[in-house]
Amino acid sequence: MGNSHNLPPETEGAVAQAAVPSLVPKRVQTNRARPNMAWIGLVPFFAFLTLFLFIPAFSVFSQAVRGADGKFTLGPLREGISGQNLEAFKFSIKFSAGAAFVGVLFGTLLAYAAVITKRPKWLRSLIASFSGVAANMGGLTLAFAFVSLLGRQGVLTKILAALGWDLYSGNFGLGEIPGLITVYSYFNIPLMVLVTIPAIDGLRSSWREACANLGGTTWTYWRRIGLPVLAPSIMGGFLLLFTNSFSAFATARVLTDNSKIVPLRIGFFLGGDLSVGEDSIGYSLAAWMIIVMAVCMWLYWILRRRAEKWQS
Amino acid sequence: MTRFAFQNVGVFDLSWSKAFDKWTFGIVTKPFEDQYFTDSLYLSFKIAIGTAALTLGLLIPTAIWVHLRVPKARVLVEFMTVLPYVIPAIALVAGIVVIKPHARWFLNSDLSLIPFYTVLALPFTYRAIDSGLRAIELRTLVDASRNLGAGWMRTMSKVIVPNLRSAIISATFLTVAVALGEFTIANVLLKQTFPPFINEYRMREPRAGYALAVLSLLFTIFIFGLLSVALRSPSTKSHQNSPKSRELS
Repeated sequence: MGNSHNLPPETEGAVAQAAVPSLVPKRVQTNRARPNMAWIGLVPFFAFLTLFLFIPAFSVFSQAVRGADGKFTLGPLREGISGQNLEAFKFSIKFSAGAAFVGVLFGTLLAYAAVITKRPKWLRSLIASFSGVAANMGGLTLAFAFVSLLGRQGVLTKILAALGWDLYSGNFGLGEIPGLITVYSYFNIPLMVLVTIPAIDGLRSSWREACANLGGTTWTYWRRIGLPVLAPSIMGGFLLLFTNSFSAFATARVLTDNSKIVPLRIGFFLGGDLSVGEDSIGYSLAAWMIIVMAVCMWLYWILRRRAEKWQS
Repeated sequence: MTRFAFQNVGVFDLSWSKAFDKWTFGIVTKPFEDQYFTDSLYLSFKIAIGTAALTLGLLIPTAIWVHLRVPKARVLVEFMTVLPYVIPAIALVAGIVVIKPHARWFLNSDLSLIPFYTVLALPFTYRAIDSGLRAIELRTLVDASRNLGAGWMRTMSKVIVPNLRSAIISATFLTVAVALGEFTIANVLLKQTFPPFINEYRMREPRAGYALAVLSLLFTIFIFGLLSVALRSPSTKSHQNSPKSRELS
C-alpha cells in the first residue's frame, strides 16, 4: 500500500478502500488521540503521589490484614475496634466532635464579624492573616504553650487559683476532653475562619435588601436565606475541623501521655518493642483511622460542591 | 471574640514567666548553646528549602498543564490534593514504617522527609498555586508569549512565574511552616529535625525548653507577618454585591 505518496491522506484511504474493500479499514476521523496524549504531562504528579502517598497508605491496609503468621486475616481489623481500641475511637470521636463544634461556633461568628466590620479597615486582613498563621501552627510549640499556661504549674492556673478558682478540682485536665478542646480550639477556630470568610463573602447584599423589601426581618433573612446558603459551608467546616482534630498527633502527645486517643495509640504500637504479631494492631488502627477520615472527606467533598455554587 | 482574644493573649503571656523567671534573659539563650541545637535547626532548614523547591517544581508545571492542556483532569487532580487529609501524618508514617525494610537506602537519608512533607503540604500549596493561576489570564499570556517567539522555558520563567509571585510566596511560606513544625513523621522515623529536638530538649531542661518553644512560635508569627505584608495588594476581586463593597456602591 505504499505507492500513493503523492495523494492526500483522505483520498489514499478511499482509493485503497475502493480497490480492496474488505482489507483496508475505513479511515476514521480521530480527534480523540490529542487530549489523550496530553495526560502524559500529569505523569510526574501522579507518579509522585503514588510513590509517596498511595504506596504507604496501601501498605497500612496490607499490614492490617496480616496475622502473626503472615497470612491474610481479618483478625487485627476486628481487634482494632474492640476493647480498649474501641474506647479510644469513641474518645477520639467525642472530643474531636466537641472541638469541631466549638471551632465552628466561634469561627463562624468571628468570620462574620471580620467580614461585616468595615471600620477599621485593616481589621479583616489582620484577622485573616492571623488565622492563616494560627491554623497552621499546631503541633509541638502550641502544646507547650498551653502546658505553660494551663498546666498544673501553669501561669494562668496560678492566677486563677489566686482568684479562688481551682482549675483542677473538678474533671479538668489538659489531657481530658475540656482541656483538649481548649487547646485544639486554638487552631480550629482560625481554620474555620479561613474557610468561612469566602462563604460569607458570597452572601450577596442584594439578597438582604430584597428580603427587607419583601417585608422580612433580620431573623427572617437568616432563617430563610442566610443560614441555608451557609449551611453546606458550615457543615463542611465542621467536617474539616473534625478530621483536623482527630488526626492531630504532635499536640496530643505533649498534652497527654496516656493512649486514650487513636493517633497516640498508633504511635505507641509503632514505636515500642512489641512481639511480632502485635504491630498489626497498630496498622489496623491506622487503617480504621483512614476509613473514618475517608468517610468524612467524602461528605466534605459533597458539601463543598454545594457550597461553591454560592461563591462564584 | 473574647475567647479568641483570650487565647491569643495566653500564648504570649505564658512564657514570659518561664523565660523570665528570676528575670534573667539567660534562659532564653540557653538552648542555643546546646550541641544539637544548630544541627537540628540546620537540618530542618535544609529540609524546608528542599520541600519548598520540590513543591514548586512539581506543582507549578502540573497546575499549568492542567489549566492549559487537560482541563478535564482538574477535578481529579483537585481530588488528589485533598487526599492527604484522608491519610494524615500518623497514618502515612505507619505506611512508611511498613515499607522501611524495602527502601532502607532511601529512608536512611535525613532528606527523605522532603517528599513526604511535600505530600503533607499538598492541599494548601496546590490551592494557592491554582488560585494564582486562575487569577491571571493564563492562556492569553501563554499564547502571546509563544507568538512572540519564546519557547516554553522562557515563557515559564519570564511570563508565568513573575505573575504568580504572590501565590508562590504563599506556597513557599506554607511549605516552610509545615516542614519546620512537623513532628509526627520525623519522630517516628527517628530523624533529628528541629521539633523532635525541642521535644527532647524540653525533657532535659524544662524551663529553657519552654522558652525555646515560645521563640519558635514568635518566629513563625513573625514570618507570617512578613508574608502578609509581602502579599499586600490592592483588592483583586471585587464582589459586586458582597457586604463589604456595599459601602462603595
